[in-house]
Amino acid sequence: MAWMTPEAPTKAELSACIQCGLCLPHCPTFRLTGMESASPRGRLMVMSAVAKGNGEVNDVFDDLMSFCLQCRACEVVCPSLVPFGRAMEGARIEIAAQLPSPIRRLRQLITGRLIGNVRAMRLATRIARFVQRTVPARFLPRQVRMSIGGLRPLPKRPASTIGSTYAPVAPAGSGVAAVLAGCVMDPWFGEVHIATIEVLRRAGYRVVLPDGQTCCGALAAHDGDAHGTRRLAKQNVKAFVSADLIVTDAAGCGAHLKEYGNWAGDAGEIFASNVQDVTEVVAAAIEDGRLPRLEVPRGKAAMQDPCHLRHAQRIMAQPRAIVSAAGYEPVEIDDVGMCCGAAGMYSVLQPAASAELGRKKADQVRASGSTVVASANPGCEIQLRGYLGGAYRVAHPVELYWEALQAADMDAVGWSLADEGTR
Amino acid sequence: MTLTAELRDILGHDRVLSEPLERWVYGMDSGVVRGDAQLVAFPETTAEVAAIVRCARHYRTPIVARGAGTGLAGGAIPTQPGLVVVLTKMNFVEIDEANATAWVGPGVINLDLSKQTETHGFHFAPDPSSQSACTIGGNIANNSGGPHCLAEGSTVGHVLALEMVTADGDVVMLGGPAPDPIGLDLRGVVVGSEGTLGIITKALVRLTPNPPDVRTLLTGFASVEDAAATVSGIIARGVVPAALEMMDQRMTQAVERFVSAGFPTDAAAVLLAEVVGLSAAVEAEAAIISEVARENNATTLRVAADESERARLWLGRKSAFGAVAQAAPDYYLHDTVVPRTKLVETMTRVYEIADRHGITMLNVFHAGDGNLHPLMAFDSEEEGMLDRVKAAARELVEVCVQVGGALSGEHGIGIEKRDLMKLVFTEADLDAQARIREAFDPAQAFNPDKILPAGSRCFDLGRPPLEGMWV
Repeated sequence: MAWMTPEAPTKAELSACIQCGLCLPHCPTFRLTGMESASPRGRLMVMSAVAKGNGEVNDVFDDLMSFCLQCRACEVVCPSLVPFGRAMEGARIEIAAQLPSPIRRLRQLITGRLIGNVRAMRLATRIARFVQRTVPARFLPRQVRMSIGGLRPLPKRPASTIGSTYAPVAPAGSGVAAVLAGCVMDPWFGEVHIATIEVLRRAGYRVVLPDGQTCCGALAAHDGDAHGTRRLAKQNVKAFVSADLIVTDAAGCGAHLKEYGNWAGDAGEIFASNVQDVTEVVAAAIEDGRLPRLEVPRGKAAMQDPCHLRHAQRIMAQPRAIVSAAGYEPVEIDDVGMCCGAAGMYSVLQPAASAELGRKKADQVRASGSTVVASANPGCEIQLRGYLGGAYRVAHPVELYWEALQAADMDAVGWSLADEGTR
Repeated sequence: MTLTAELRDILGHDRVLSEPLERWVYGMDSGVVRGDAQLVAFPETTAEVAAIVRCARHYRTPIVARGAGTGLAGGAIPTQPGLVVVLTKMNFVEIDEANATAWVGPGVINLDLSKQTETHGFHFAPDPSSQSACTIGGNIANNSGGPHCLAEGSTVGHVLALEMVTADGDVVMLGGPAPDPIGLDLRGVVVGSEGTLGIITKALVRLTPNPPDVRTLLTGFASVEDAAATVSGIIARGVVPAALEMMDQRMTQAVERFVSAGFPTDAAAVLLAEVVGLSAAVEAEAAIISEVARENNATTLRVAADESERARLWLGRKSAFGAVAQAAPDYYLHDTVVPRTKLVETMTRVYEIADRHGITMLNVFHAGDGNLHPLMAFDSEEEGMLDRVKAAARELVEVCVQVGGALSGEHGIGIEKRDLMKLVFTEADLDAQARIREAFDPAQAFNPDKILPAGSRCFDLGRPPLEGMWV
């Protein structure tokens, strides 16, 4: 049997590749190994072999597909417009269906179910916090050390923003922005959420975090859990049914949300068309004057493009515009946007390749001469902090902007007090 | 011991692939023929390559060297079950700024070399359309060209010395840093030999200074004749642009869908011309090109305003082949050369052939040197289509040879055009070439079945062509 599931790579997806090979140099795993079987073209060829009965879904197939970061850098340079990310999700679903294992079932329990459960995440946060605060780094396995070390200091009682509403700060009138809280963003990256919510309010949005929402399902989709992915997508579609603008501050979530059409039918298609990354919304507000450009120079900021922002969503200019408006000088670190190796669960499942890419990315940041790094995705942030160490600050572009905005507020207050003093 | 075990002794377990699915991907390059890679090895040093060659020789296993696998003539396809030696891991670059040269590994990607030498003010001149992916080793094996070879010449003019592993597993140095070394010019023999004489493990390449100024002009015409007349007119006025490229309407439309660079999709043909040099010269030459284009009724005439527009136009031109997949699932890209003066006549006949066989044909070519790239887009699963494509391809080559052209401009002969060699070479010509090959590799272990047709030597028994092999 070639394929077993309806999600398998389709004939149209596979035959779109004409094997020109232009994707090869843009693929991080091809760059690491020089191996065709670790390149997009090679992977598509392997999928085609299975589709045509020249190969089967076995452990080798699993290894070859699992080595892919799903960064989708290949899609950007593909003149044949092959939907590689979709085909790879299909291949992963086939692996899960044809090669079930207890480990995979455990992973699916985590990414398809527990991660979307606020109480389970709270427990996970407590455990991670305990490890972060008590266990010396040298006693941890390297990959755990990188992940825990890359996290922001975890809160004692993680608050959930789900269910809250925030009124716009004048001038109002931008409409309603429905924000996705996300699975790890909510308990672990609270500061990013605060920045997102506050900056959106300043831009005139009424900000809501609808009740009943859950994890976007990107991790489950990347791991081949079709059932879990569909369930999470449908739950979110229901929770956000009345939203015209759905905003996320995690690039990985945004890329997946914009593909809900694949997972939740027509309703998913409508949902997807309403999704914007927070950098798109904020950059537009800066552009049309709803948010100010701040003049105080704040030094350099190295721009790290999350793959799922730059490659999957083709968003590059907006984070730079936001960082500039915050007063930073954006510094480029990589002209092709090579993956940092975080790639969701990849850092745990493929630690060697992830570490090599993480070190390379850290070297690029060091070479830039900037100690501030702007990155719009939680996975990248953890990876960068883990490999850069404490001397560097990694933050979301909107977070940098929010800080600059607050500083400008303080200055304004200071000036007015000074004015009163002279009067 | 088996060959697999011995190779793993030399390279370690991970640098030898033997699993069917892993080997499967090395059965093909960017062309359409599938071969049989029994084993795939990834050496990192010259010594490892030599050891691999000696080992394979012991087991009488054919060896095919491979870079990025972007070739279109089947040059890197193991036509006989054999060992594929992949050189992508040999990708060091040592720049000698004072001499404007660099020692490079065969696995260095063409564009990477230009990027790495950019800060020194240099680039590597040959720029095949696949330059973002293809490797220097493959460029040398195929004597690759590219748009900018109109003024700069093809790869052979940019290689000073080669380190090569011979069929005996010896390491030899051909050529040297001096521009005109003494002795027989074996370097010149090896460049373009498509991996049939040995495996290149290191090359000393010439670096070209980046021009101080550049202008890229985009022109559109209502007819292919007007575009072709412009090409001849420009050269007749004494201007040799760095590049002079033409695309027909279908190709322009496919490309524009991918890059949105503002190519005029209503023009029957577009010309992309680039002039480089000192600002004054560039200004003057651009003016002449504009004038000639206007004389020939150009409907569009635009100069790229900045580097990003220029990059966008070139990205379009260089993505042309891949963009064709939007038209059909398979494509067959041809590579022939005709005298520049015969461009219009050849184009007319080429379209006729395609129409007669009911094949979608798109054209893109290096107009400046008459190097045509007719591209047939088709669906191989359509009944009888493959035969029609093959027949059309053969007719096309015959037409080009008839008007005084050549078999291949830059893609090489490989297996694709091997049996067409007789159209342009006499028996004595082929025999001379076969003898040279025999002198380097008597057992024909390196890339067997390539370039020279069976029977090139009188005692050559030949082998039946593979299933699915072109013409």
